[in-house]
Amino acid sequence: MKFWIEDLPVLFPYPRIYPEQYAYMCDLKRTLDAGGHCVLEMPSGTGKTVSLLSLIVAYQQHYPEHRKLIYCSRTMSEIEKALAELKALMKYRTDQLGQEEEFRGLGLTSRKNLCLHPSVKREKSGSVVDARCRSLTAGFVKEKKERGEDVDLCIYHDNLDLLEPHNLIPPGVWTLDGMLRYGEQQKQCPYFTARRMMPFCNVIIYSYHYLLDPKIAERVSKELSKDCIVVFDEAHNIDNVCIESLSIDLTEDSLRKAARGANNLEKKISEMKSTDADKLQSEYAKLVEGLREADTARDEEAFVSNPALPDDLLKEAVPGNIRRAEHFTAFLKRFIEYLKTRMKVLHVISETPPSFLQHLKELTFIEKKPLRFCAERLTSLVRTLELTNIEDFQPLQEVASFATLVATYDTGFLLILEPFESDTATVPNPIMHFTCLDAAIAIKPVFDRFSSVIITSGTISPLEMYPNLLGFTTVVEESYAMTLARRSFLPMIVTRGSDQGQISSGFQTRNDPANVRNYGNLLIEFSKLTPDGIVVFFPSYLYMESVISMWQGMGILDQVWKSKLILVETPDSQETSLALETYRTACSNGRGAMLLCVARGKVSEGIDFDHHYGRTVLCIGVPFQYTESRILKARLEFLEDKYKIRPNDFLSFDAMRHSAQCLGRVLRGKDDYGIMVMADKRFGKKRNQLPKWISSALMESDANMSVDQAVASAKRFLKTMSKPFPANLQEGVSTWSYEDLMEHKRKLEAEQIREEKNGEVNGNMNGHVHGDQVMAEAQAAEEDMEDSDLDAAMMEIDA
Amino acid sequence: MSRQAQSRPQPTTRRPADSEGQDEICPVCKSSRYLTPTLRFLINPECYHKFCESCVDRIFSHGPAPCPIPGCHKTLRKHKFRTPTFSDLQVEREVDIRKKVGAVFNRREEEFEDLRAYNDYLNEVEDITFNLINKLEVEETEKRFKAYQRAHEREITENASLAEQERASFAALQKEEREQARSRREAARREDAEEKRQLEENRRDVLNRLASGQDAESVAKAGQQVHLKKRMDRAAAAERQRQLQAASASNGSGNVVIKGLRAKQKQEPEASVDPFGGLSFEGRKYYALQDDYVWAGVQETKADVLIGAGGYDVGAFTGRALCEAFAGLGVFVGDEMDERDREKMGKENDEMATKGAEVAATKGGNAAKGKVKDVKMEDPF
Ligand code: SF4
Ligand SMILES: [Zn+2]
Ligand SMILES: [Zn+2]
Repeated sequence: MKFWIEDLPVLFPYPRIYPEQYAYMCDLKRTLDAGGHCVLEMPSGTGKTVSLLSLIVAYQQHYPEHRKLIYCSRTMSEIEKALAELKALMKYRTDQLGQEEEFRGLGLTSRKNLCLHPSVKREKSGSVVDARCRSLTAGFVKEKKERGEDVDLCIYHDNLDLLEPHNLIPPGVWTLDGMLRYGEQQKQCPYFTARRMMPFCNVIIYSYHYLLDPKIAERVSKELSKDCIVVFDEAHNIDNVCIESLSIDLTEDSLRKAARGANNLEKKISEMKSTDADKLQSEYAKLVEGLREADTARDEEAFVSNPALPDDLLKEAVPGNIRRAEHFTAFLKRFIEYLKTRMKVLHVISETPPSFLQHLKELTFIEKKPLRFCAERLTSLVRTLELTNIEDFQPLQEVASFATLVATYDTGFLLILEPFESDTATVPNPIMHFTCLDAAIAIKPVFDRFSSVIITSGTISPLEMYPNLLGFTTVVEESYAMTLARRSFLPMIVTRGSDQGQISSGFQTRNDPANVRNYGNLLIEFSKLTPDGIVVFFPSYLYMESVISMWQGMGILDQVWKSKLILVETPDSQETSLALETYRTACSNGRGAMLLCVARGKVSEGIDFDHHYGRTVLCIGVPFQYTESRILKARLEFLEDKYKIRPNDFLSFDAMRHSAQCLGRVLRGKDDYGIMVMADKRFGKKRNQLPKWISSALMESDANMSVDQAVASAKRFLKTMSKPFPANLQEGVSTWSYEDLMEHKRKLEAEQIREEKNGEVNGNMNGHVHGDQVMAEAQAAEEDMEDSDLDAAMMEIDA
Repeated sequence: MSRQAQSRPQPTTRRPADSEGQDEICPVCKSSRYLTPTLRFLINPECYHKFCESCVDRIFSHGPAPCPIPGCHKTLRKHKFRTPTFSDLQVEREVDIRKKVGAVFNRREEEFEDLRAYNDYLNEVEDITFNLINKLEVEETEKRFKAYQRAHEREITENASLAEQERASFAALQKEEREQARSRREAARREDAEEKRQLEENRRDVLNRLASGQDAESVAKAGQQVHLKKRMDRAAAAERQRQLQAASASNGSGNVVIKGLRAKQKQEPEASVDPFGGLSFEGRKYYALQDDYVWAGVQETKADVLIGAGGYDVGAFTGRALCEAFAGLGVFVGDEMDERDREKMGKENDEMATKGAEVAATKGGNAAKGKVKDVKMEDPF
């Protein structure tokens, strides 16, 4: 359907629209007009992606600036989904407009998924694929070939050079599969096609890392212009992604490999000195002059890109004491030896980068400045030496990245050395964590560079936490409730067992048999009453294991077994996917199944349990993070110091966002229904940290239940759900046709005129109220409905 | 990775737990760490060969002895033995050399015209170090090294002390930061505890009052109000605390930066002594002082080494003589007398007039002596 938001015509590829979708689009447009950032929380399963895309595409095509859209998501499957949505949208637009628009939409993912080279694509590890591809496509390899030497090149890559650089692939939306097919047909590399076409695309869909990880972003996203619209979807975990992109772990093994890499470099240098000394000399001369490598742009993927953020790069000549190749390798060896020595210490150390540097200087006379240039110098050296077996140097690259980072950042980072894997271990297995504590550091360039950044997810409450954590200001912060024609999901908080004993996964009581038995009873009851699938989330693998074995001992699992098949998630992804498959089969063929999984595992983040795949989700305990982790402790301290966020507040925020993720798994659309059970007495106090759409559906009476009460309430709920619910009852309430939308607009305008008459409306406030109003209206309509129409309808049906 | 390890087919990869492989065996007595876990190795910076502690005790306790490794003829002394910092003795040696070089070549970036010059200097130093480490052109390099050391002795000590200062101030800063962070956290902890305590107290209070038979609703309301008030108090206190902290932080950082202070001192050199209290003799109105006077007395004095060696300057004498000769010329006694009379009449003390009198008094040398006290006549003349 087609409608207008202010002066903007929007084509929406479905005949009906949800009120919250409309509100969401209005807020999006407001953000884009204002040229600021926003945080939007939209209930899961309400068509967030499609509303986002249709508004932004409309915006692009309508206004002369044609702002580009960069849509970032987390996983491959989400990227594919978004591409498919975009494709459908563009098809609809073509049909409606009667002509095809000049439009390009591409997705980008790693080489591992896009490679076509017959032998490279068979590699299992992504980094090996990257390294092998580089050795087939690097600029100097090509030069060698031109000189007549016998080197391998990738034909798929070379073919690209025969095409027009701005028209490597015809216009249109290309899904990943489509790209692969086209690439195979034309014998051109899909990965580099996508990379090179990025400046000519209207929509780019790729993963967070291409924008957040400085090592990749510098190469991939450098050319994007300032007025791009950046969207981070499923962004509830974005702070962790930011932190990970700047953190490095070193182990004894990687140091040993790095040392070997340094020795190999040394050998290569002396080889080259005897065969081709000019080359080294010319590199040296260039460094003396302080010249940057001019051909970096040509080399699409240098061996190691600088791990520091673009703003923090030192733009000056490489320090004199690492200019010569042999000096530099000696320097690296000394640094690695120092790190090895540090690894020998048998107690935990945590220190700030300045104190690390001080100690380093005292012991080895390594200064901060050359350390900062490590990554850059190594890149230059590798290029000069024309190394092709780059994957051998990966550990060395890691050490160089570490060196650069530790010398660049004074604050917001911490070095933690853990000599033992766990507190009980006696054989040392040291790990040096160089961990970033401040999520704002990595994302700052994104906010600085792009005028509109949209952060959105199904569960991103409390909204104000994110601007605080990531250091930005918003023009719009909005959370939308879900408009429903009937109450189609039932959130409950169970705080007591049938014996009235409180249940909790808290540390003191978690292994208390009475507590575990109460959880067990809850499980039995819900396995009996729930049709089809149940998903159960535990706070951690450890706890899950211990509870399962206790349940086994109590005979609880035997009882569950009668009504459901039991499947368990494990840290092994292969096993887990097998379990998932079995689970789905069991749900589909009517046997019914129960999946036991972990709140921070893969299942909780990426897998949807729509319809009969999930009718009940049980959260056993609040999924707090493991607070004994030193990295987490350091981060908590940092947050308290810098952002004045209390440790407990952060922990509870983090636990609740994961719970919300878990709960959101079962409800994937308006025609879906499900029960959400939070089983822990501590949930009671944390209610207000749930996303608005869940907390508003959580009734006061359901917030403090015993197992029996919960069971009764769930039975009642399922009974109403089992009555047929004709789709036409949703119309005008939770879905709007075009007429409904117009009706709404008319009302709104009338309201506005009235208020203007009263003279108390200024433009700004008006805009802000808009979204809420939509929701309020819908809610009111909904209530009306429940009272009269619904009963009438039901009676009709019954009769 | 050490040279020893390199010559062997990478034992390190196969035995990750015991990364040093055969290095853990004493070359003299062949005892290994595997059998004697307490084994400690020592090295001597003469030749960097390593022996176990007991061998060192045994061989070198009775005075200097030659190194027992075949082919190494260095004489070693026991007190020079130490535990190595690095397991790679190559690096150990390198660091020792760097220590030596670094103590001499310690120029700082700010001493150079531009970055390029500094980088060239660094390159140069690295070349020297590299040669010393790899025993290339040792003699020539040593010579260069010594020459530099001799030529720049003063700068070297200066820079060394600067570096020392920097280190000290850095350490102080670090300590202070840690201290502050700790106290901040402690304050937060205390606040939390306090809040909890008050909440508890409040609750008990409400219960007590209810127990004593007061109206439930009003009690609850009163309790809430008390709670609110306390909370506000606390917020105010926290704010105050923050301000205090901010103030102390700014003080603290001011104390530590010694560099800044030094620079300031230089900018304001102590004013030189001015015996004439600001009077100037430069304005020579009546005569011009020449560089040289052809007069026997002056010439002789000038030629006399004994006089000149003492610092006597003939120029000073001629200048003074001329000044004295013409000193009275600008003074008009009549005017001055008038002025004095005026002052005696106790009329307003005109600043300008006094000043004029002062000048006159100095120049005249005798007039108005009693009145001007701050100019000591006998000083200049
Ligand atoms: S250029 Fe493309 S096809 Fe060739 S190896 Fe690299 S990723 Fe694979
Ligand atoms: Zn021995
Ligand atoms: Zn020796």
